[in-house]
Amino acid sequence: MARLPDEDSLVRSHPRSTLDNVPSEGRAASAANDVPSGIGPLALLGACLLPVLGAFAIHAAHVGLWGVGAELLALGWLARDPRGSLKLLAFGILAAISIAVSTYLYGGRHLDESAAAALRIMYIVLPSALLTPVIRPAELGDHLAQRLHLPARPVVAAVVALQRIDSIGEQWRQVQQARRARGLGLDGGVARRFKGSASTAFAVLVVAMRHTGSTAVAMDARGFGAATARTWAGPAPWRWGDSLVLCLGIGLALLPWLM
Amino acid sequence: MLVDVSLTIPAGQRVLLAGPSGAGKSTLLRAMAGLLLTADHGELSGQVLVGGREVNETPGRVGLLLQDPLAGVVAETVGRDVAFGLENRLVPRDEIWRRVASVLAATGFPYPPDHPTAALSGGETQRLALAGSLVLSSEVLLLDEPTSMLDPASAQLVRDAVRRETARRGTTMVMVEHRLEPWLDFADRLVVIGRGGELVADGPPHEVLNREGASLAAQGVWVPGLPTPELTLVEPGLVEPGLVGFPTCQGISPGAAEAIMTADGIRVTRRASLTGSRGTQIVALDGVDAALRQTHALAVTGSSGAGKSTLIAVLAGLQKPTAGQVTSADHLAPSRRRGRERRPWKWRSLELGSRLAWVPQISESGVVASTVFDEVMATSRALGRDETQASRRADELLEALGLRHLRAASPYHLSGGEQRRLLLAAALVHGPQGLLLDEPTVGQDRATWAAVLGCIASAQSAGAAVALATHDLEAVTALAADRLRLEHGKAA
Repeated sequence: MARLPDEDSLVRSHPRSTLDNVPSEGRAASAANDVPSGIGPLALLGACLLPVLGAFAIHAAHVGLWGVGAELLALGWLARDPRGSLKLLAFGILAAISIAVSTYLYGGRHLDESAAAALRIMYIVLPSALLTPVIRPAELGDHLAQRLHLPARPVVAAVVALQRIDSIGEQWRQVQQARRARGLGLDGGVARRFKGSASTAFAVLVVAMRHTGSTAVAMDARGFGAATARTWAGPAPWRWGDSLVLCLGIGLALLPWLM
Repeated sequence: MLVDVSLTIPAGQRVLLAGPSGAGKSTLLRAMAGLLLTADHGELSGQVLVGGREVNETPGRVGLLLQDPLAGVVAETVGRDVAFGLENRLVPRDEIWRRVASVLAATGFPYPPDHPTAALSGGETQRLALAGSLVLSSEVLLLDEPTSMLDPASAQLVRDAVRRETARRGTTMVMVEHRLEPWLDFADRLVVIGRGGELVADGPPHEVLNREGASLAAQGVWVPGLPTPELTLVEPGLVEPGLVGFPTCQGISPGAAEAIMTADGIRVTRRASLTGSRGTQIVALDGVDAALRQTHALAVTGSSGAGKSTLIAVLAGLQKPTAGQVTSADHLAPSRRRGRERRPWKWRSLELGSRLAWVPQISESGVVASTVFDEVMATSRALGRDETQASRRADELLEALGLRHLRAASPYHLSGGEQRRLLLAAALVHGPQGLLLDEPTVGQDRATWAAVLGCIASAQSAGAAVALATHDLEAVTALAADRLRLEHGKAA
């Protein structure tokens, strides 16, 4: 995405006169549709999924190490959100460690084999950790519908749902704020915290479900219920960068097989 | 809910729909849009015809703006959100962006199309939702309190936009509003729904008001030209701050009233992230000073997005300031091993709940229980207060706020205005020292408005310190509140 205009001061200090901020049509379209890396979501998705095929060929630690190194080199430059990537990676590392430990303990105590098992997981997880934070739901929807010609209604529903996942974090914060103000917040001992988290989760679930109902009504009120076909406000171009990233993905799928 | 309501609305007519809080106005509006079947409970009979055909068979002819604007957000950016309806109508891309830009300009929306929707305030989201409805140029436009969360200037802007857009296209319009005055010369017809969900008045606005003004006012309709209603005060014992061991301020003259919470040079920034970008830093507050004083009310005003809700959250101990200090009076601060903890955002939940109370702007996320009565009792129970005494207070407060008959209902099934009153009751019942209220009068009719402010004023004169974010200037006057006007996060 093109950088938001003067990013630091964008929100509160944006000029408020109505004439200043009517954007030119072109800017509006491009602003809604470029990813920071300039790579479209389908190529990114491909680069996330293709290496899974290569993971099957990782039978020794050195293959895995070279593979993971190659992934970092090939895809690292596309990552834009280090914090998000690290969070996802943490889950991957946790999974890899537990696989390694159990392979070591129950699989005959072969160090190389358990390292390979761990690296196989990392080989699958790393591309997604690097790239999924870069994929924007709206843009993915544009491309799925216009490039892959998937049916419009499920695509829109999925996009709205993906955006909802984002908003669940915010909802969690709001619910917790309200519970904290009412003396029902998360503090005290472990048991109380656990119980509090469960109630918060339940409240978030209820709010999310009710919101989903209202959102469905709001979407229908804007003609979604009746639309069998629709147009897309965002374009879905395929650029040379997309081909490059897709080739990198194919390369990562083949690499472990060739070693 | 609604009983045998029949209306025939000729094309191009502009109808104002009024009635007491909880009468079923929003339900009627949803029914007119043909959307009652999808997400509701209860039984439905009757039909809605548009141009002689069932409304469900003629999609796209009726546009609806919901009361809760947050639920209507369907996209990550402002532009894509407004474009949503146009996409469904098969409008070509170039035309989409042209129309998005023009409707954003027409509604005075202050941000460009690539602005994240997650970074909008409540009032801004409401304007976004309106833009999303107006852009479709539907034949019939149904609006549910389109200006309820807006300051007077933005509300005027929105009214002008609605007038202009509907007059230009001859749109048929039905609008739910509590405040009739600004729309009177624009509307052709006033329809009033009574407390039991029945039709009580119908006709040209001025005629209806002249003929039945007094009886409508008694039912809670904001009849224009009448003086602000007298506040319905409650017995002080019901709302008196009751923290054990804390000196109440009886006998203190208002001038000498003590500050229980002081905010100095508060700055709050936060990130609104768009998935896939690093996010935008938002400065919500910048160098703001404020104080909560016993027996005083502080009204935080300013346009939507100015930082009102954030300041209320800081004073409520729910938001840690990025810079600056928020500190409580020494005797209010809970003890720690190393002395007293005066920063409210460091307090434990029970400590906070016993000292301060907060009513959020979005009521739904504030609900913590499954019945109205349990909702009001939740904090008292968490604090281990005496059940009999607390439940007596709870029932009396529910009575005062017109919710007693809903005691066993689910808080989620209440109307917007009722939910807000419920959370006020839940905030008052255990006698907190400080009351932090975010838009407490939104969605209230004449009678419930008087009840809401009556409860607040009673708590205030019984010794509580009050701060409220509001754009309701009559409420500011009624509470004799000190004013703090925010503009772009700074005191103006």
